[in-house]
Amino acid sequence: MRPLSMPRYCVAMLGFIIQRLLQSLLVMLAMSALVFAGVYAIGNPIDVLISPDATQQIREDAIRHYGLDLPLWRQYLAFLGRLLAGDFGRSFVFDIPVLELVLARLPATLELALASVLIGAFIGIPLGIYAGYRPEAASSRAIMAVSVLGFSVPTFWVGLLLILTFAVNLDWLPAGDRGPVVEVFGVGWSFLTAEGLTFLILPALNLSLFKLAMMIRLARAGTREIMLTDTVKFARAAGLAEFTILRRHVLRLISIPLVTVFGLEFASTLAFAVVTETIFSWPGVGKLIIDSITSLDRPVMVAYLVLVAFLFVTINLVVDLSYALLDPRLRRGGRA
Amino acid sequence: MSALLEVRDLHTHFFTRAGVVRAVEGVSFSLARGEILGLVGESGSGKSVTGFSLIGLVDPPGRIVSGSIRFDGQELVGLPQAAMRRLRGARIAMVFQDPAATLNPVLTIGQQMALAVRAHGRASEAAARDLAARTLTRVGIPDAAARLDAYPHEFSGGMRQRVAIATALLHGPELIVADEPTTALDVSIQAQILAEMKKLAKESGTALVWISHDLATVSSLADRVLVMYAGRIVESGGVSETLRAPRHPYTRGLLDSLPATARPGEKLNQIPGSTPSLLALPPGCPFAPRCPRADAACATDPPDVVTGGRLVRCHHPLAVAA
Repeated sequence: MRPLSMPRYCVAMLGFIIQRLLQSLLVMLAMSALVFAGVYAIGNPIDVLISPDATQQIREDAIRHYGLDLPLWRQYLAFLGRLLAGDFGRSFVFDIPVLELVLARLPATLELALASVLIGAFIGIPLGIYAGYRPEAASSRAIMAVSVLGFSVPTFWVGLLLILTFAVNLDWLPAGDRGPVVEVFGVGWSFLTAEGLTFLILPALNLSLFKLAMMIRLARAGTREIMLTDTVKFARAAGLAEFTILRRHVLRLISIPLVTVFGLEFASTLAFAVVTETIFSWPGVGKLIIDSITSLDRPVMVAYLVLVAFLFVTINLVVDLSYALLDPRLRRGGRA
Repeated sequence: MSALLEVRDLHTHFFTRAGVVRAVEGVSFSLARGEILGLVGESGSGKSVTGFSLIGLVDPPGRIVSGSIRFDGQELVGLPQAAMRRLRGARIAMVFQDPAATLNPVLTIGQQMALAVRAHGRASEAAARDLAARTLTRVGIPDAAARLDAYPHEFSGGMRQRVAIATALLHGPELIVADEPTTALDVSIQAQILAEMKKLAKESGTALVWISHDLATVSSLADRVLVMYAGRIVESGGVSETLRAPRHPYTRGLLDSLPATARPGEKLNQIPGSTPSLLALPPGCPFAPRCPRADAACATDPPDVVTGGRLVRCHHPLAVAA
């Protein structure tokens, strides 16, 4: 049962990563097929794209132009073929490459999702540990009440309240839209300027509420459990201060479920921040996918959802890899 | 010579929903510097709670209700948490039963020991590691400096307990409370750890409270023994006289139930009945319902009979020259 040496461990990990990447390819393939078939079932994009009073000739030209006259499986194979060449196709609606369209919107969602998950973690975990450390205290009960609200109050309602309070009544922060962006590596980020940050705060807070509640619950449950163990008793017997015990022992011991949820929440926020992006007219991918669904813009939908599948798989992979960092007992390698 | 530890009429109770559990009920004893005291009893006899009371780590809903614990002249009962914390690990240390549960599985041995070093004063990374490595060497861990970067699961059970003992020894405490530290180990490892502890205690002049249900380990280690039953001390005295010629029927029963005293093929003697619930203890001697010598007198509290440095709390103690 001895753990592997570092080089052998790295080789084992490399195999694990490759295996997971291959799995992710399969997931993305299945995802694209599902979306393709699903969109086909919803309706014919031509009905949306072309005005009803267009001539028959225009209709048929358009159908042929988009390749919609072929049977579904041939359309799908053609799509896959182009995909291998790195071409996700062109948007029916905007008539620009889909990849360009999605990537232009992705940074906005990326920074929004990351900000909200970080707020949730950096506020939620300390609050949760405190609530688990002193479960009977009035302040802990107040924290738990907040977490129940975070779970049960609908996001859109909180979003509207935030706008009403901080944008309309107090006029401290902008009500919506994304602030000025700074170009780094060819993409625009708004969190790099103070003004850009003011635009980011409200939607990020709005999105973080659920994550905050989740982190509080997880950290509290973990802390309560760990506080009863002999590890904590032994640390106390060695004379460690309570804060040191919480920071060095408890936080490390509860970190695995926290990291798992952090990853999942980050991925799902990236993919489905739709409601908040709509309320705050945040120009992210959530809005893009809703728009493309209403206009049956199939290339955008397929590309987007395949990208989402890729993000989920990647983030899960990173989470799995971080387990080995957090818990040395998992570094046994061998069968990953 | 003044005693290092002086416990007087200690009462530690647990206030549970079902009622008050009187886990420790009027325990008194004293301990000289460098002395090894065996604290013996069945599960639930209050021996562990006595140990945790000494180091100020009785978990709620339990607390010390009354009594006095004087450590080197300083009263520990009612001492503020911060002052108690400064004593713990520095002057009074504790070793627990299961080293697999006490060591943090996700920190290296070196990290954990460094935390314990720094709990009592500043130390550089190098100084903390150096002290940790030297202490590990003292408890018989080979190649200690290299082992600092290992995790607990990379050690065997006996080695883990040595790490825990080294952690307790870091600051050269005057008293170590050891709560069944060999129970979770293999018998062969037990003997090694016992010998090691005895040697370390003698070398450093550390007094030891050795809590165990195992009379055999206590007899090979301790100078004196306290036998506890239902939260009370029922017998105490020098370890050899007490175990050779016990005066309390309970101690006699414990000794008779040891496999070593039985003839091969014979059934082991056991004490009839089981330990009473501490929630509703009847008045009088708590051992009376299980005692072969009990009579009507046992319905009243037994007296402490002291003869020649030995104490027995019984109406009908066994004759000394038994």
